[in-house]
Amino acid sequence: MAAILFEVNGTTVEIAANDGENLLDVARKANVAIDAPCSGNGVCGKCRVRLLEGTLDSPENRHLTREEYEAGWRLACCAKVVGDARIEVPDIASAYRSRMKMADLSSPEEVAIFLNAEKQLADAGMLPGSDLRFLTVRLSEPTVDDAMPDNERLMRAIRAQTGCERVELSFRALQRLAETLRGSGFCIKCVVSARPEILRVLDVLPEDSATPLAGIALDLGTTSLAALRVNLETGAILAKGSGGNGQIRFGADVINRMIESSRPGGRKRLQDAVIVESIRPLIEELCATAGVPQENVYRMVLAGNTTMNHLLLGLFADPIRMEPFVPSFFQTKGLLARDIGLPLHPEAELVLAPNIGSYVGGDITAGTLSSMIWNRPELSLFIDLGTNGELVLGNNEFLMSCACSADPAFEGGDISCGMRATDGAIEACTIDPVTLEPTLTVVGGCAPAGICGSGIIDIIAELFRAGAINGKGKLVREGDRILHDEHGMGSYVLAWQSETGGVKDVAINEVDIDNFIRAKGAIYSATATMLAALDMDASMIERVYVAGGIGSGINMKNAVTIGMFPDIPIGQFSYIGNSSLTGAYAMLLSSLAQEKVEELGSSMTYLELSNVPGYMDAFVAACFLPHTDASLFPSVCV
Amino acid sequence: MPFVKKPQVCSAAINELTLGTGDKATVLGGQNVFNLYAFDAPIANRPKIGIDVSDAPEQPCPGLEAFYAGAGTLAEKAARAAALEHVDFVCIRFDLADPNGANKSVADCVADAKAVADAVDKPIVVAGCKNAEKDAELFAKVSEALQGRNILVLSAKEENYKGIAAGAGLAYGQKVGAESAVDINLAKQLNVLITQMGLQGQNIAMNIGSAAAGYGFEYVASTLERVKAAALTQNDTTLQMPIITPVGVETWGVKESTAPVSDAPEWGDPEERGIDMEVETATACLAYGSDAVILRHPASIETVSQLLAALL
Repeated sequence: MAAILFEVNGTTVEIAANDGENLLDVARKANVAIDAPCSGNGVCGKCRVRLLEGTLDSPENRHLTREEYEAGWRLACCAKVVGDARIEVPDIASAYRSRMKMADLSSPEEVAIFLNAEKQLADAGMLPGSDLRFLTVRLSEPTVDDAMPDNERLMRAIRAQTGCERVELSFRALQRLAETLRGSGFCIKCVVSARPEILRVLDVLPEDSATPLAGIALDLGTTSLAALRVNLETGAILAKGSGGNGQIRFGADVINRMIESSRPGGRKRLQDAVIVESIRPLIEELCATAGVPQENVYRMVLAGNTTMNHLLLGLFADPIRMEPFVPSFFQTKGLLARDIGLPLHPEAELVLAPNIGSYVGGDITAGTLSSMIWNRPELSLFIDLGTNGELVLGNNEFLMSCACSADPAFEGGDISCGMRATDGAIEACTIDPVTLEPTLTVVGGCAPAGICGSGIIDIIAELFRAGAINGKGKLVREGDRILHDEHGMGSYVLAWQSETGGVKDVAINEVDIDNFIRAKGAIYSATATMLAALDMDASMIERVYVAGGIGSGINMKNAVTIGMFPDIPIGQFSYIGNSSLTGAYAMLLSSLAQEKVEELGSSMTYLELSNVPGYMDAFVAACFLPHTDASLFPSVCV
Repeated sequence: MPFVKKPQVCSAAINELTLGTGDKATVLGGQNVFNLYAFDAPIANRPKIGIDVSDAPEQPCPGLEAFYAGAGTLAEKAARAAALEHVDFVCIRFDLADPNGANKSVADCVADAKAVADAVDKPIVVAGCKNAEKDAELFAKVSEALQGRNILVLSAKEENYKGIAAGAGLAYGQKVGAESAVDINLAKQLNVLITQMGLQGQNIAMNIGSAAAGYGFEYVASTLERVKAAALTQNDTTLQMPIITPVGVETWGVKESTAPVSDAPEWGDPEERGIDMEVETATACLAYGSDAVILRHPASIETVSQLLAALL
């Protein structure tokens, strides 16, 4: 046995480990968070830790330079315990937990996008229209002659007041009824869910209670979470928040998560990681910001992909990734937030946006609602660029969806200097075609620390335009900013360490570019495969709506230049922000919207790309800048 | 109803690629119909057969030992191979140059290549050792030494195409083979990359990869066929390069060709089997789209040439 000491942000965690045990596994056991997007396969190089004292069996690795290795840096996933050791876990390794810049609804652009979506939903008659509301009821006080029990008295009064025949009281309402009635002179404020067939009293409050009727809309992403706390009566946003998905240390993509969930205790670990470590703190923060107790949240709508929904509920998710790809559910009814241990109101309903297929989930049904493509005659393409890429093609007559594995490149994962769109991220870039000198736009205006999705698109497009990389993404020009390592791998330096004061240069290398070309190839080939299934071609697409964490900074022209989106006029593209969150918000506020999402979910055709024989061919063809078939990109290949 | 013949003649054609010089020069490609479809239109140039000669001394079978008996140098072997009837070109292969093997120097290879050029007047194809870095250097130097002989270097891959297209094609006017791994899109991408360097498509031959029959050959067949279909029916200029397929190197390494009689007595004589594998694979390649095949055994060459003569 060996004693391993992890030093994380000034705190020390000690755990006993067996010789030969993998350091990443040991860290996970000790609940020390190390960012390991590739789930410990030695591929991504992100799980860097520093050996301060003692020994580790850990060979040199291509992800570490000689100097870094000599300074004690090791990859946790490639290190074996051989004796006592003191290990520093750097801040970047726990980045996933760190508070991010509010990526959603933080900038004026994002707010404008949100308000526009809200207006369109309202114009379509979707907003508002919640069944949840306050109902103030005055009861006749009981007397010796009128000794009807409190609950029947309340139901009688509600029936008389609303005309609703069926009235039901929740346990919580019953628990509080006697005291509340007597404490406020038999005039109370009921929290009710009023549906045409039944009116259910969730809780009873004193008449003068000022706490708002609140709900939470949450976008549960594979990588990150975004949430809104909303006043259900007015639709006003009371608080916004976002954070990382704690499951990320078990793998960056859904496949690795599902594999982890099938290990002993895995389902519990993953459920805890998302609920205890991610959603609960986010709710706490939202409620603290809004200054109201969590108990005042009467409904939560959650939009997440199929895997996230399953892991959230602690379900066996493995069948999703195995042919014939069958999930446990598409839709749920009657779930309560308390079923999964969320400390909201005990009667708070947990509504999950319905899934469509094993890889097209509630985030897409909710997103489709807010994209409004179901309400328009023109043929539109809706693309959600997340850790997975999901696409919906159609109009007010038909909708078809599919999902492709885009890997986390759009959110900065799988990229050596990748990061999310937080302070320090290069979000836009131009490169001088002659000198290859870059001009950078950095989030927060500070020194560049990494590159986010929109920045990577710009960099690759600009390098390609300048002839610095070829169609395969390999560097073919020489220059001051182009370096080659001892294996011959080229990289382009965007910012030197000496300028940024960071631990290393901010650069993009050929492996990064290759990863990104695969991601964009997956998106384009999914588009092409759907079009082919409908016997259409790209020129028939009239509108493209892009959603997802890539950020409003995305340059559509550059995205077309690298062949990620079909080559149609730039004016036909729009960025619609976090459409999943917007959709969840609409579902929270409107029963009609909730029904619409369910209808979209059950009426949409799902195309399973892995069953399409030509998909691999289309994918390889799309893994080229802009595309192997240059005639598809006339505006790029002149 | 009488039978009305509807010839499938395409408006596009495969590029003509000339190897070698003078009256021994040979032309690959040129046809505007699918391979061997002489019933649709006359085939401009019949498919060509090359012979594979390695600088490694060992031979895979006694017949070849006997064939090369007494020929000590690569040049002597190449001369003997070139003298065979039905051989259109000689492919010299520098197996010994592999840095993970004998690591023969580039200078020695160049000297060998020069000696071959002096001894052989048929067109010369130069194959490397499959190490991308060494091949790039080797092809450039051999191209320089054999300037004017209009050789084909086999081949440039994604890892080393830059050096080879520049060093062999642009600098010395030699022909460049573009090698990809049995995928129509990868083949096309490499052609695009090479032409983007300024080397014209007319100077490129494709080796889209191969496999011995029974070793995933259906992928090879499908790829050959689709490349030809794109070139001829869709006039895809980035896929109109003639296809040259090294067959012998694939087939003489599989167990059907190498297993001794003691391992599989019911299979019969190993050399017969090896020839069979080579002939079957070459025939299939020619039927699906190869404009030239490179074989090792004289008996295979004789058989395949008879087949072509009978069909065309």
